[in-house]
Amino acid sequence: MLVSISGLHYRYPGARADALADLELGIGPGELLAVVGANGSGKSTLARLIGGLEKPGAARHAIACGHDLLTLAGRQRARRDVGVLFQNPDNQLVADCVEDDIAFGLENLCWPPDDMQARVDEMLCRFELSDLRQREPHLLSGGQKQRAALAGVLAIPRQVLVLDEPTAMLDPGGRAEVLAAVDDLRADGLAIVYVTQEMDEVVGADRVLALEHGTAVFAGPVAELFADVDLVRRLGLGLPAAGELAVALAGRGRVLRGLPLTLDALVEALAVAT
Amino acid sequence: MPTAESSAHGRAPSPLGMAVDCRAVSFSYEEARSPICALRQVSFTLRPGGSLALLGASGSGKSTLLAVLRGLDETEAGVVLLDGMEPGGAAYEALRRQVGLVFQVPELQLFAMTARDDVAFGPRCLGWEEPAVGDAVEEAMTLAGLPPSEFAERHPYALSGGEQRRLALAGVLAMRPRLLLLDEPFVSLDPVTRRELVAILIRLRQRGVTLMLATHDIDLAWELCDELLLLEQGRVLAAGPWGFDAASARPLAGARLKEPFLVQLWRRLGRDPASAPRSAAEAAEALA
Repeated sequence: MLVSISGLHYRYPGARADALADLELGIGPGELLAVVGANGSGKSTLARLIGGLEKPGAARHAIACGHDLLTLAGRQRARRDVGVLFQNPDNQLVADCVEDDIAFGLENLCWPPDDMQARVDEMLCRFELSDLRQREPHLLSGGQKQRAALAGVLAIPRQVLVLDEPTAMLDPGGRAEVLAAVDDLRADGLAIVYVTQEMDEVVGADRVLALEHGTAVFAGPVAELFADVDLVRRLGLGLPAAGELAVALAGRGRVLRGLPLTLDALVEALAVAT
Repeated sequence: MPTAESSAHGRAPSPLGMAVDCRAVSFSYEEARSPICALRQVSFTLRPGGSLALLGASGSGKSTLLAVLRGLDETEAGVVLLDGMEPGGAAYEALRRQVGLVFQVPELQLFAMTARDDVAFGPRCLGWEEPAVGDAVEEAMTLAGLPPSEFAERHPYALSGGEQRRLALAGVLAMRPRLLLLDEPFVSLDPVTRRELVAILIRLRQRGVTLMLATHDIDLAWELCDELLLLEQGRVLAAGPWGFDAASARPLAGARLKEPFLVQLWRRLGRDPASAPRSAAEAAEALA
């Protein structure tokens, strides 16, 4: 396990209730865990905690990449091995131009200049930012900023990557790039925690964790979560487009075999004689 | 909401929704080391009560175009006609004030101590007096799914993310826009809140408000909008009806955009994609 958490509690200072309560989570190399839940359910809080950016209130254990998140030293070390990408890249871009921003983390880790330059070039290429390397961040579009921020996070080699709605501000092309990059990273053995509101993006995950008011109400296979339509609605979620259509059809008396979650599966299910 | 009587300076009553005629509009950002040309001779029209999806990759000029249409930035070439009127003069400025723009992540702009005061800010800035302000606030909050009896006195920051989004929208609706521009209104919303917002926009469309919606969500664009305007690097790639049909080249492919899910489904089922349904409910009716 790269991340192993049990009995995690967290409460924001001054808050009346826990933002996370009794949370359990485990993720190994090459796994993609999707985290879903309504706004305010604790997804972003969990993302920050795994990244060592907040001090847990309490936990039976909370280990990330071998570092104890309950100790300050452990959290500091975790921040290097666990990359976190937030929703709003404006909060993460700090330098005068894209290239310098990608190099920022590497400079802080005292990488040799040649190695740093090579790594920055690699990241610029991977995220199609080479033409924008000298551009001031405030002149980038929302999607371009997000790609630049992701490039900056991944410039430092990581074991775990936590992504908090990484495609929210991206166009479909940019979204496809991020998803492809995430697949590559998974193949490289990174563990990925993927917080999202896009149900179509959940379909490809190995497992899904669904939060409601800070507690985990579901942890398991994706198909199993979507099969429980009442739970999905209660949690403020939806189904992938294929699933929503299948549910609408069932409402009109045409029940498809299984719950299709992709276009292919839906076409196949519709082809079965009624 | 505006009535047919609300018109600028004694002209004949206008339809509820505003007409837009954008003619060869160009705009550049001058502040960079070298100027960035964000809009290049963009032309399109939008009829009163029409609904237009503004599509295009990040950086293609969508947000810039909305800002120009709202009058926050002046064109460097070309004109934007509102209800057939050219810029210059008080009448045009009055029309501009009937254009509402909802920015990306609009809840970042909430600032007042109560929801009511935040929503009232716009009408007050327009010089409206009580009870017109009060009426506008009530109407806007109700339309946005935030019953005043429950939400008026709440602190904006104490609301959930979805409620904040709707409150920010209410702040624009309170000014009774006849043309409503929305920049990525669905970003960061959970699926249920997204559906609530779709319902609000459908209600506005039914009332006849002209809508223009910049979004990356092609399925919601398909559900809400009759027409599209596709930008690439500031230029118009396509404008007008969606144009899906069995024979023609797919209009969105050139811009790395997938077709709406339901259009893809209709193609796969051997049905005419031009008649693809707009929503899951409509699709279910057709397939049941």
